[in-house]
Amino acid sequence: MRAIYHKEIKSYFFTFTGWLFITVYLAIASLIFYLNNVVQRSGDFTAFLSMMGYVWMLLTPVLVMRLFAGEHRQHTEVLLRSAPLPVTAIVAGKYLAAVSVLLIAVFLSFVYPLLVAAYGRLYLPEVLTGYIGFFLQGCAFIALDVMVTSNLKSQVAAAALAFGVNLIVWLASLLSGSANVPALLSRPVAFFSLYDRFVPFLNAQFSPANALYYLLFVFSMLTLATFIITTARNRRT
Amino acid sequence: MIVAENITRLYGRFEAVSDVSFTAAAGEIVGLLGQNGAGKSTIMNMLAGSLTPTSGRVYINRKDAARHPLSVKHEVGFLPEVPPLYPELTVREYLRFCCRIKAVHPRDEQRHIDEIMELTGIQEVSRQVIASLSKGYRQRVGLAQALCGNPEILLLDEPTAGFDPKQAVDFRKLIRKLARNKTILFSSHLLSEVQEICDRVLIVHHGKLMLDHPMKQDSGCTSYRLAVAGAPGRVLPPLRQLASVQRVKQVGESSPGITRVTVQTVQDSAFTSQLFTLLSGLNTPILELTPMQDNLEALFLKVTAQSGAGIP
Repeated sequence: MRAIYHKEIKSYFFTFTGWLFITVYLAIASLIFYLNNVVQRSGDFTAFLSMMGYVWMLLTPVLVMRLFAGEHRQHTEVLLRSAPLPVTAIVAGKYLAAVSVLLIAVFLSFVYPLLVAAYGRLYLPEVLTGYIGFFLQGCAFIALDVMVTSNLKSQVAAAALAFGVNLIVWLASLLSGSANVPALLSRPVAFFSLYDRFVPFLNAQFSPANALYYLLFVFSMLTLATFIITTARNRRT
Repeated sequence: MIVAENITRLYGRFEAVSDVSFTAAAGEIVGLLGQNGAGKSTIMNMLAGSLTPTSGRVYINRKDAARHPLSVKHEVGFLPEVPPLYPELTVREYLRFCCRIKAVHPRDEQRHIDEIMELTGIQEVSRQVIASLSKGYRQRVGLAQALCGNPEILLLDEPTAGFDPKQAVDFRKLIRKLARNKTILFSSHLLSEVQEICDRVLIVHHGKLMLDHPMKQDSGCTSYRLAVAGAPGRVLPPLRQLASVQRVKQVGESSPGITRVTVQTVQDSAFTSQLFTLLSGLNTPILELTPMQDNLEALFLKVTAQSGAGIP
């Protein structure tokens, strides 16, 4: 797993994807920070993190699109298939590499709270709780996108499908909050929603149940990705 | 040791490999010959564990590949037709990655990589990024990858593609060196290469194994073309009586007093010494004695034509 992890990290920063992800992420974060905090002279990061939560929908496909489809394009898929390496190790190594790039981006965006702290008053526990939820939400989106792209051969198709699925997750969450949707439908959607689970963190409540939900979601998605790859490998026709 | 037992692979309804069975013993070099699309790469992929056979079984060193996939993969080094390289890594980084996924002990890693690089002649490019290498060097890095973990079995799919003539000669030397303690199965389009290196050749056509043929390199030739200054009636009967002779066939137009024949002999026999003794006793001078190499090209054409398809 470590070998896969190190190779993926190197690949992220040799190719443009790692830099693209961090650059676009910081550009969007800077704009949101400027509009929410600088213009309004506010030290409250709730709105900032809430809006940033939607950024994952756009950006995690960039991180994930090359993880499996890239192996196919470079003809290196056969190297991993013929190596004495369990599929779980491949999935986990790739996932952790993507999460590491995401963590770097989140870490760099900590500059905004630091700026607020330098010129005003910062509610550090609230900000930290929000950032933890924000990071967990990002991890969940990466796991979801890893699952949906695990058997795709084209990077463009992988990015498009991951974005499409993220969009559906967002729309489902949006509809679950609508009064026109029956409770029978809206309740389960809200229960599974990656956005609704983020709300307590935004409200400065560290929720172990929601943190556990995110971790279980990640585990389930990676298990499904492993299953999809194993099934494809064992296909007999 | 490789044992393929009735392996078949379907792609949808298309049968890429059909009921292929063969064995490659330890220390043997086996060549896999066939036209493009004959099924060579599919066979290689199934043996390497990167493709699951639709039916049939693969045994690597007596272990069932379907039951013990990870254990079997430790014993196989595979160079696919397109070398599986990460262009962003340097050669050393790439080989380190390969050693790690093949579970080479970290203590031995450095030494092992140095040995492989020396063996494949890539030390001078060890710090270069793979993206900047020539095709020949990429092929060699691919071969080095297959050697990581010191596998007992090497599967090389078109390994000399991209090599210049000097590199191809060096490669053949390397293969012979490696075969001292490895089983090697390699596919090639170059019949001369297969003839030169291999102990055995497997000819595949339309997914079927058409021929499993020994190359008899070390035991010498088993067929001779012979011309003797003597009448056939005088020469042929005692010639057929020789212990080392299997078959004698008269060929060509015989000139008066000259007999022209092809002689098939028992392998490893003392045919030539028996022949000289016989003919000196008969006082019939030898006009010609030419060893006839097995002509792989003719064999290949014959085998592939038999199934209703000629060479394109």
